[in-house]
Amino acid sequence: MGVAAAALDYDAELMLRVKDGDGASFGMLLEKHRAAVIHFVYRLVQEQPVAEELAQEVFLRVYRSRSSYEPTAKFTTWLFRIATHLALNWLRDEKHERGQERLDDGSPDLPARQVLDRRPSAEQDLMHRAKLDEIRQAVAALPEKQRAAVLMHKYEEMDYSQIAKVLGCSASATKSLLFRAYTTLRAGLAHLGNI
Amino acid sequence: MNRPMESRNQEMLVTYTAGELDVETASAFEGHLAGCPACRSVAAEQSAVWNALNAWEAPAISPDFNRRVYRRIENEARFSWWERLTRALRPMPLRQALPLAAAAGLLLMAGLLLRHPNNITPAQPRAETVRAETVRAEQVESTLDDLELLRQFTPASSAENGHSDAM
Repeated sequence: MGVAAAALDYDAELMLRVKDGDGASFGMLLEKHRAAVIHFVYRLVQEQPVAEELAQEVFLRVYRSRSSYEPTAKFTTWLFRIATHLALNWLRDEKHERGQERLDDGSPDLPARQVLDRRPSAEQDLMHRAKLDEIRQAVAALPEKQRAAVLMHKYEEMDYSQIAKVLGCSASATKSLLFRAYTTLRAGLAHLGNI
Repeated sequence: MNRPMESRNQEMLVTYTAGELDVETASAFEGHLAGCPACRSVAAEQSAVWNALNAWEAPAISPDFNRRVYRRIENEARFSWWERLTRALRPMPLRQALPLAAAAGLLLMAGLLLRHPNNITPAQPRAETVRAETVRAEQVESTLDDLELLRQFTPASSAENGHSDAM
């Protein structure tokens, strides 16, 4: 994508202004994309404080790279590539330390909540929480790239080609990743119906 | 339904469930679903997955998120190597600069003498030379720290002296 194509991407234009020293444009990019980045990273790492730390690092890297920025791809592709890279690295580091420990943490909490929660809707609330835990675990159990692909497809509404660019694979490989991921999720979550 | 589907059907099904098909294509696909129990079953399961994922909301963002981003940017700028170097070398009155330069020189010489006792030990192999260069960079950094400390200390001392003179 050249400069002409970048004109179609307003974010890339903003980033070029950041490159020229316009701090306000960086503020606009931060404001516009922070929710998407934080939520995406949160669903990947499943820990909110970690997600926010990593998202800060994403924007720090964007700012740090301003002088060398060239609009060779869509801004969000670049942004999510950084976010995915940081989140997957964090997951790999964590994997060695904690393994599946965190995944198992959710379920033992439930009886405690059951005892403590005495509101009339406690049972429904518990069931909802249990289902959400199930969803989180099913997503967390996906291989890293499949997980990232599903999250970008489902929540960021990215098309196959953009997901492919973020993940650095071909469009057909990305489709294959997504279909395998959805097949796994169907097997694990279809029984939930409409929650 | 665990029977493998054709890639094209899978793509269609996922796109259909996501509500991303145009009306015409969606209608044609629904025609196919009506006559294909296998695809209908997968479509129902995929819809369930889609609904389940819809229910997974991300927590609210901390109100100070932007402030923390800007603070990290400022910190990085404040403590970058070049920033520290230029701050240390910023023009200052000769009266302050001379003792600081002398102190820095002494520190550097002492460091080099301690790290390179060439007159005592024989010449080291190449690998050692590489390590020594790393140490030199650290020494320069440490000297810059010292310079910065001295700079902060010097005006206070001057003020203190001025104050005691006045008394």
